[in-house]
Amino acid sequence: MLFPLTVAIYVASAALAILAGWYAWRDRLIDDRLLLVAALLELGLIVQAVVVLVSVGDVGGGGAEQATYAAYGLTLPFIPPAVAYLAIKEKTRWAMGVIAAGAFAAAIMTGRLQQIWDLHG
Amino acid sequence: MAEERTSTRSGPGVVLVAVYAVLALAATGRSVLQITEYFSRAPVAYLLSALAAVIYIVATVALARGSRTSWRVALAAILIELVGVLVVGLASYLVPEAFPDKTVWSHFGSGYGYVPLVLPVLGLLWLRRTREAAQRR
Repeated sequence: MLFPLTVAIYVASAALAILAGWYAWRDRLIDDRLLLVAALLELGLIVQAVVVLVSVGDVGGGGAEQATYAAYGLTLPFIPPAVAYLAIKEKTRWAMGVIAAGAFAAAIMTGRLQQIWDLHG
Repeated sequence: MAEERTSTRSGPGVVLVAVYAVLALAATGRSVLQITEYFSRAPVAYLLSALAAVIYIVATVALARGSRTSWRVALAAILIELVGVLVVGLASYLVPEAFPDKTVWSHFGSGYGYVPLVLPVLGLLWLRRTREAAQRR
């Protein structure tokens, strides 16, 4: 796994979670600025999905790890659009909770990808 | 709008739906993998894994629907989930040889940051809060 990409995704996830927390505190709804940060995270996750597809053969260790690697890599890009959709529909400050939960999940799953890569790469 | 507010899918509920969806995804992925790749190693543990995945999917959909019937379905699913995580969590400490691989519920969900242990409690609290609204419609 490309370590700089992992770091970039961590930064984007953290930025999104912090921004969501700030919006929740100020009781603001989702807007273009927050969507832009979510889009940056999405971009990183799409690049990561491509990297995962290309490098899945190098993971080795067979079955389980390899399948988890591919599954996480390909599932991750679906998270930002899904939470953004839920957050747009929800018109209370809880919408930001969904964004924060999504950002957290993206960071955890990306960490797991890096972990699998470090084991076998 | 006031009624919409107290549905299981709005307010704090929408966060719950999102977290349940992520867990449903993780549990489904893991159990499909375990059953297709090495079912014979620990059939009981892997079947429990599959059960957990189904429960999470049912809970996610029921909470997201937010109707009167789905409130009951959610209650049943979350109760089974709570019992499951407690029983499997305890069993994985008492008879570790039955659980060679981790499942979502083993060791009280420690592999998932104890989210599987906390989530049903939050889910039940949330269902209690939304009970009146669910019975009115």
